[in-house]
Amino acid sequence: MTTERETTVIAKTVTRVVTPFIFVVAIALLFQGHNLPGGGFIAGVLTCTGFALVYVIYGRESLRTLLGAGSEDSGVLSGLTGTYATLFAAGLSVAVLGGLAAMALGYPFLTQAVLYLSDLGPVGALTAEGTGVGTLEVASAFVFDLGVYLVVVGGLLSILSVVGRE
Amino acid sequence: MQPSPVVLLAALALPFLGAAATPLVHRALGERTAYYAAAVAAVSFALLAGEYGVALAADPAASGVTFEWIPALGVSFTLYLDGLSLLIGFLASGVGVLVFTYSGGYMHGEPGQAKYYATLLAFMGSMLGVALAADLVALFVFWELTSVTSFLLIGHYQRTDSGRYAARKSMLITVSGGLFMLVGFLILAFVSGQSAELARTFTLVGTPDSLIANAEAVRAALESRGLLVPVIALVAVGAATKSAQIPFHIWLPNAMEAPTPVSAFLHSATMVKAGVYLVGRTRPLFLPEAAVPDWMLIVATLGLVSMTVTAILAVGATDIKELLAYSTASHLGLIVAGYGLATEYGAETGAFHILNHAVFKATLFMVAGIVAHEAGTRYMPEISGLRKELPITAGITAVAALGMAGVPPFNGFYSKELLFEATYEIAHTQGGLFWLYPAIAVFGSVFTFLYSIRFLMLFFGEKPDELHAHRPPLAMLAPPLLLAGIATYIGLGGIAGTFDVGVPVVGEFVAAVTASSALHAPAGFTYYVPTELSPYFLMSLLTIALGAAAYPFYDRFHRAVRRARALPVTSPNWYYDTALSGANGLSAATARVVHNGVFRRYAYTVLAAVCALALGGYVAASASLPAFTGIAVSAPLAVVLVTAVLGAVAVIRAPSHIAGVLTLSILGFMVAIFFVLSDAPDLALTQLVIETLVLVIFLLVLDKLPSWYGDLKRREVAADVLLSGTVGVTVFFTVLLSTGATAPDPIWRDIATLAPVPEEHGLWILEQGGGNNIVNVILVDFRAFDTLGEIAVVAMAALSVLTLVGMRGRGEDAGGDGPEEGGETA
Repeated sequence: MTTERETTVIAKTVTRVVTPFIFVVAIALLFQGHNLPGGGFIAGVLTCTGFALVYVIYGRESLRTLLGAGSEDSGVLSGLTGTYATLFAAGLSVAVLGGLAAMALGYPFLTQAVLYLSDLGPVGALTAEGTGVGTLEVASAFVFDLGVYLVVVGGLLSILSVVGRE
Repeated sequence: MQPSPVVLLAALALPFLGAAATPLVHRALGERTAYYAAAVAAVSFALLAGEYGVALAADPAASGVTFEWIPALGVSFTLYLDGLSLLIGFLASGVGVLVFTYSGGYMHGEPGQAKYYATLLAFMGSMLGVALAADLVALFVFWELTSVTSFLLIGHYQRTDSGRYAARKSMLITVSGGLFMLVGFLILAFVSGQSAELARTFTLVGTPDSLIANAEAVRAALESRGLLVPVIALVAVGAATKSAQIPFHIWLPNAMEAPTPVSAFLHSATMVKAGVYLVGRTRPLFLPEAAVPDWMLIVATLGLVSMTVTAILAVGATDIKELLAYSTASHLGLIVAGYGLATEYGAETGAFHILNHAVFKATLFMVAGIVAHEAGTRYMPEISGLRKELPITAGITAVAALGMAGVPPFNGFYSKELLFEATYEIAHTQGGLFWLYPAIAVFGSVFTFLYSIRFLMLFFGEKPDELHAHRPPLAMLAPPLLLAGIATYIGLGGIAGTFDVGVPVVGEFVAAVTASSALHAPAGFTYYVPTELSPYFLMSLLTIALGAAAYPFYDRFHRAVRRARALPVTSPNWYYDTALSGANGLSAATARVVHNGVFRRYAYTVLAAVCALALGGYVAASASLPAFTGIAVSAPLAVVLVTAVLGAVAVIRAPSHIAGVLTLSILGFMVAIFFVLSDAPDLALTQLVIETLVLVIFLLVLDKLPSWYGDLKRREVAADVLLSGTVGVTVFFTVLLSTGATAPDPIWRDIATLAPVPEEHGLWILEQGGGNNIVNVILVDFRAFDTLGEIAVVAMAALSVLTLVGMRGRGEDAGGDGPEEGGETA
């Protein structure tokens, strides 16, 4: 927004306090998605709202410094937008490569697997029961979810920044 | 016996790999890239030559090399090498070697050489693909690849208007012809699947269940559905456009805009041969053992008429390359006519003349290149008497031009004699109107004789004082010399044949090429200079005599043809240009109507169309609404829903954009609460977050909009209300119908059995999701492919916004910022 008015101290302070929580919640949503409400998409959108908040309250420049993006010139993919574009490109590659990994192992494209680490000797010894509480579940689907997350974050932020730059 | 798969694949892949490497090679070698490309072609040639013996013994039912491609559709990647494909392969790679060498001299100092050699190599690969592919799909792909590469080569001088016009013309004609051919192929494959004996197959030849190996059954199936003639016609259109037959010959003279080596290669020896190759290849499939098959009426007539008309047009040419272009179309007509005639001689004509024509015509194109390059003009009236300054070239031209004229004992004579023999046989057995075939053949050949001699006369007669020619470099002289040597060798073979002495290679090779398109394997192939006056030898002599008698009046014929050509109605060019400018106007007009730049109207069209389609679909499918069973919602849910409705009403009453958007989000958050109350935490979370984000985006965009709608016209308001109402009704019915149409065996039951968290945790669980959150397991595991598509869409949407908004200032006219101006729709 191109309002000339200064943002109030209250808004700035609240943002400063709230934003880390938003990001932590987003990451929690990403990690727990396989078993509890959440997942790459929701986490991605939530992360975007966090960025959007910083952007609305502190302005474009602060976001650029925050992300360490290059300076902006007339090019479309310069600065922040370029960073975001890289992000969704990377996400798409992560998702596809995750699927290809399954093919490399001889399974159909995008086959997912789950590994319960309590069954492995060292981890099993650490945990009391072996199943349930204390079991670390490693799902290969997480890689795919990470790809979804990155695409959503990159894609939505690109749109936001292009629209915002206008 | 099968050829070695590795060899065939290598011969096919090498030119493409070579083309890919050309830019690098050009950086290192510069102009010597020509010899690198020649080496690539030579290796391909050697690889094919190594399969010579195997190819000559090819069996159409067994010799194919098959790689699986799309088995569910009957598509396989099959390579097949027999006499005919070997001949085309030799022409592509062998003439390729010569043309690349020649280019080394011709293209000296020309710009864009890396592009030129890369495209020419890719073209050679595509041509080899056409020759080797025995699968209709692969054949089509390579076929169109030759059109595309030819487009690039014809348009080599891309800054000239004529170059662009010629490239576009050849592209439009050959590619659209290819599409007709594709339709023919699809019908063929479809019908083959309907016959009792065959499964659906796209394999043309080379396997036991290929089309040609079961020609009888395929033909019977086609005939019983009345599709034989349409399929022949469709394939013939493909062949005619590619081989420049009447009335599609018009692209070939324009294609002479290309550098001369390209003309020698594409427009004499190879690409235009793809059409006749197709005719020769499908001949055994479409030609039944009937006295007057449909095939003959379509193909032979097409060929003979093309041969005659384009020979006459060649007499009207003033540019030496134009003359050769028309002449090429004429000789291709001869080959097509040969393949069209339903006799053994017909197949021999086609087979032998492909070889002869490629040899003498490529030679003549290279000669034309030498003349243009060394004398500096291609305008025929300015050129004569070059033999003193270019003696070797004159000798080469004599051999090639006399072969083209059909003078014994030069090479073109024998294949033309075979055509006369074939037409005479047909006329003799059928009688009646079929006597037109030999008559047309002789008539057309007279003109062939005329222009051939005219071309030869460039080197004889008085030399104008202002004309000076330099000696051509060796790289430009050696290739036509070699080709002329081959032509002489073939010619001498005929003389030897008269004394019952065969020369090596030619006879057995032509016999094998004939076998590829004959119904019965021929016993062998011999050719000789006739020693007695057979009717067909008389036809040959008549042709030469008439030609010699008419030659003194060449200028009169020339002027008459030019006058006739200038009439718009008889000129296919006129139709082409008119149709093209009409099509241009039409598309411009369509664009003006469809893309009028008013956002409002886009939204109207899209929304109204979606509603009409959806509602129409429901009516057409006579979908019935589920029975109304009363409302059973809990009190909190009712409060939420009522608040949502109130929010919706408030949006309409909102005094400003900002207020409207904020009110709208009441609706969104109520929906989120509705999800929470309905035990759908995932949806609720998503809805909440999306709602927030959308709010932010809205606020960003609103900043750009005028703060107030302005005074609304009553009529516009009415239209808006009508459209909004329709959209609402459509969505309402869609929701009702889709929720009412729950399958009797819902999918969640499957998933509940498939994807529980296992009680006994195994190490790897591949079949199952292994997660508690069924929504997410579906997203990232069961339907991960769908999700991949969706995130690709998100990425694409972002890219579109980047290009549309970010690059808006760079377009042709930066004034068209329609989306913002028209954004007043609520």
